[in-house]
Amino acid sequence: MAKSICTALREGALEGELAPALTIKDSIASPFGLQVFDHVLSQLFSSILAGKSPSQGLILVSFSRSPSFYLELLKNKGISVASSDKRIQILDCYNDPLGWKDQLVEISSTVTVFREVKHMDKLFNSIIELGRGLVGGGKIRFSIAIDLVDEMLRRASVSSVARLLSNLRSHEQISSIFWLLHSDLHKARVTAVLEYLSSMVASLEPSHQLANGQRGDLENFALIEHNSKKGKFHVRFKKRNGRVRVMSEEVHMEQAGVNFTPLSSEGAINQGLVPKVQFNLQLSEKERIDKANVVLPFEHQGDNGKPLQIYDGRRSLVDSKQERAVAVEKEESDSQRGEIIYYRDSDDEMPDSDEDPDDDLDI
Amino acid sequence: MAAAKTRASSFSRHLSTAAPSLGPGLKCGPNGTVLLSSGIPDLDKILGGGFPLGSLVMVMEDAEAPHHMLLLRNFMAQGLVHSQPLLYASPARDPRGFLGTLPSPAASKDDKSRGPEPDQEKGLRIAWQYKKYFGENQLNFDGQRDGKHEYSNEFNLRNPLERHFINGQRVDCVSIQDSPDLSILQDRCTTFLSQLPRNDGSISCAGRIAIQSFCSPQCVYSNMEWEMLSFIRSLKNMVRSSNSVAIITFPPSLLSPSFCKRWQHMADTLLSVKAIQDDDKELAQLLTGYQDMIGFLNVHKVARINTQVPLILEATTFSIKLQKRRYLVLECLNQAPVDGSSGNSDGTSGSCSSSSKTGNLDF
Repeated sequence: MAKSICTALREGALEGELAPALTIKDSIASPFGLQVFDHVLSQLFSSILAGKSPSQGLILVSFSRSPSFYLELLKNKGISVASSDKRIQILDCYNDPLGWKDQLVEISSTVTVFREVKHMDKLFNSIIELGRGLVGGGKIRFSIAIDLVDEMLRRASVSSVARLLSNLRSHEQISSIFWLLHSDLHKARVTAVLEYLSSMVASLEPSHQLANGQRGDLENFALIEHNSKKGKFHVRFKKRNGRVRVMSEEVHMEQAGVNFTPLSSEGAINQGLVPKVQFNLQLSEKERIDKANVVLPFEHQGDNGKPLQIYDGRRSLVDSKQERAVAVEKEESDSQRGEIIYYRDSDDEMPDSDEDPDDDLDI
Repeated sequence: MAAAKTRASSFSRHLSTAAPSLGPGLKCGPNGTVLLSSGIPDLDKILGGGFPLGSLVMVMEDAEAPHHMLLLRNFMAQGLVHSQPLLYASPARDPRGFLGTLPSPAASKDDKSRGPEPDQEKGLRIAWQYKKYFGENQLNFDGQRDGKHEYSNEFNLRNPLERHFINGQRVDCVSIQDSPDLSILQDRCTTFLSQLPRNDGSISCAGRIAIQSFCSPQCVYSNMEWEMLSFIRSLKNMVRSSNSVAIITFPPSLLSPSFCKRWQHMADTLLSVKAIQDDDKELAQLLTGYQDMIGFLNVHKVARINTQVPLILEATTFSIKLQKRRYLVLECLNQAPVDGSSGNSDGTSGSCSSSSKTGNLDF
């Protein structure tokens, strides 16, 4: 749920703990990652401005969009950057990441240009320096947002990016950190590394899976169009007690941004976590049908209109009386022919008594 | 026993005069091995007494939960309580900090009672023939605890280990994050293990090596897969010829599948921990005690040294629980009691009747 993510990021880290880190990942099938990133960014920044967070400032490391875009975005959301000059700083890795241009026109005082994207340790130092410049030294904390980790991975090795992120998480002045990743641009291992390093993983998935990625089909066009406006938002939280909380929502793309609504249908139950025990805990379809068909011995079956008969494994007195009545009737009808009067033995006699009925034969 | 008779043949059996004297925290195991405790009494019981000296234990982490840290903490704390030298390597900048989180042994054995108290039962008169066997078991259990140096301790995860255990010891910490290759770690392991050579005869002390998150992505060498594998192999060989136990934890999701398999084959004892999903209704229905569980532990392989006979466990999946939020407890998974309407094959819930389709039976 988007609200719980923003709350977790806003609350930040406890003393002695690593800072909560969020990975937002999307793919071409549901490409709303940047919009979700903007949403989380504006939520976090407004709570920083409102003083609801122990974090006093926000450092935004922008790789994929120009800093002026973010300044516009925050202005559109109703957050005036001019007055909040002391709360946000943007590290501009978009305009000149490799240091090719000689001179760059400075956009505003909130933006610092960074020219050495290939060197992760220099990036680390700049981020920390910028943060310290914003909030001061000591114990005051700040938050970090990195808009596209893919750009970092283009230019530096996975282990150096991982080192940067884990060092940021363990730095005592950092309250929370989040980043965006396009998961289909990398090998699975890279996504696994980033998930390993984060305490919350938010993934965007299409509401309808396309069949084998065939995009030429006419039917699929409708699905693609549908997927371009809506999607599913799954979040996995790693809680402090070692459990994982899984939540899902639906996400809609709108003019103003993204909108989150609770899921309309039940999410799939996570079958993979059921451990292998000696028992077979699942029921096959046939077994399910059979289970529904079993007539239970102790269940009251009064729905047929018959009198309630609680079957307890023995013939009850009622039954035997009825049978006797039936037997007597038969006898009466036969009385003209001859009389065979048979009275049932007493009810006390156990049907499988120890006596052998052949005992009285004398062979 | 010394041979009293003179033998006719030239062969005579040389039997050692006495069992080797063992230092604290060690006990004799089957097949001539010597065992040391893992720090978790339940795990010792499952593995047949403990970890044999000379074995390599590998723990597969789950990226979503820190349960491997619980295992490591107990392992290291047990070693320190028994004054066994310890080498700890981790990808953190300052591994010494982790020593501050080690738990201390439980205060007194009365704090934690799991077996039935014999005094309570005097009021109850149970006509239960197995009581006599249970009583014997209790006696054995108590006898073990009376020993001065207990073989294995219960650890209270809420209380930190007293400083004197850590300071007066041969405790060596290595940070493996920044080393470009594994040579530093290799050297440290070699020097550590050279202090603990294996001779025939008494073992005064045994050492413990704990390597945490070995292929963690922050480490520079983490993409050098063959180098990591050969390090593990050389460590295994060094450990086998010394009086020590090494435990390595690693996240398998960050390795390529073929290397993951190779690493698993390297282990003498292989365990894995798994996270548990919060608020999983299906799991809550299937397993009793779901609320208290924090994760699962799987035992994949148990070390068998000096023997060809494998140890086949009754169960391989255990739930990890924190009893009273302090003591790590491993329990067998118990399927929750199923109500009477369960499948058609043996729908017995105490009644010996078959389904009413076959008619009333007078049993």
